[in-house]
Amino acid sequence: MSLCIDELATKIASFDPVDQDALWEKVAALNVQRGLKNLSQKYRARLAAEGKLDQTADTVMAELKKLREEIAANDYRT
Amino acid sequence: MTIGRDWVVLDTNVWIFGLRYQPDQPACAQVLQRLPQLHVKVPRQVLLELQANLNGEEMRDFFRLIRRYPERVDLHWDKVELSLIRKYQQLACKLGDATVATHMETLGVETLVSENRDFLYEIKGLPFRVLRAEDALRELEEEVE
Repeated sequence: MSLCIDELATKIASFDPVDQDALWEKVAALNVQRGLKNLSQKYRARLAAEGKLDQTADTVMAELKKLREEIAANDYRT
Repeated sequence: MTIGRDWVVLDTNVWIFGLRYQPDQPACAQVLQRLPQLHVKVPRQVLLELQANLNGEEMRDFFRLIRRYPERVDLHWDKVELSLIRKYQQLACKLGDATVATHMETLGVETLVSENRDFLYEIKGLPFRVLRAEDALRELEEEVE
């Protein structure tokens, strides 16, 4: 594995700096997309187990609006 | 104002619909997939709402994900001024929406991406605009072309 990484690093270091920047950006983008996918899978699995995955957008939105008011009321209680 | 270069706030509903892959809100998942092309601020109210929807492990995954992109996603835990919230409440906003509006003004962010069609709809002269996810995607596409 470390040999592979060394070879890869040597190859990347030979790239033009502009191409290197583009490569890092692409790697970061793929990491974000993979992270989002993993998070989404866990969240959807839990919702499915709780019987909430099939809620309509209107139902979810209504819950989010209610939650918004509750959180703000709690956070800015005077 | 360009959505690809300027900071935006994604409303909680965009995060949640996107993570759920809500079938009737496909644009939200697409916006999240475009996260690497956006500059996103996440204000306290949205963070607290996400915390209420995601469990501990999911929230840790969220923070781990965000930390990979500190120059693109910026978390803000600070509370906002109550006097500013009151200003929006006097314009007939509910407390929660007034809080989000105050975050927008305080952070100086000019675009809120939200699927809440009622959000401050009747209020004129806001210091920010409200875009639906689909419109945000369209703007991004136009900027790329």
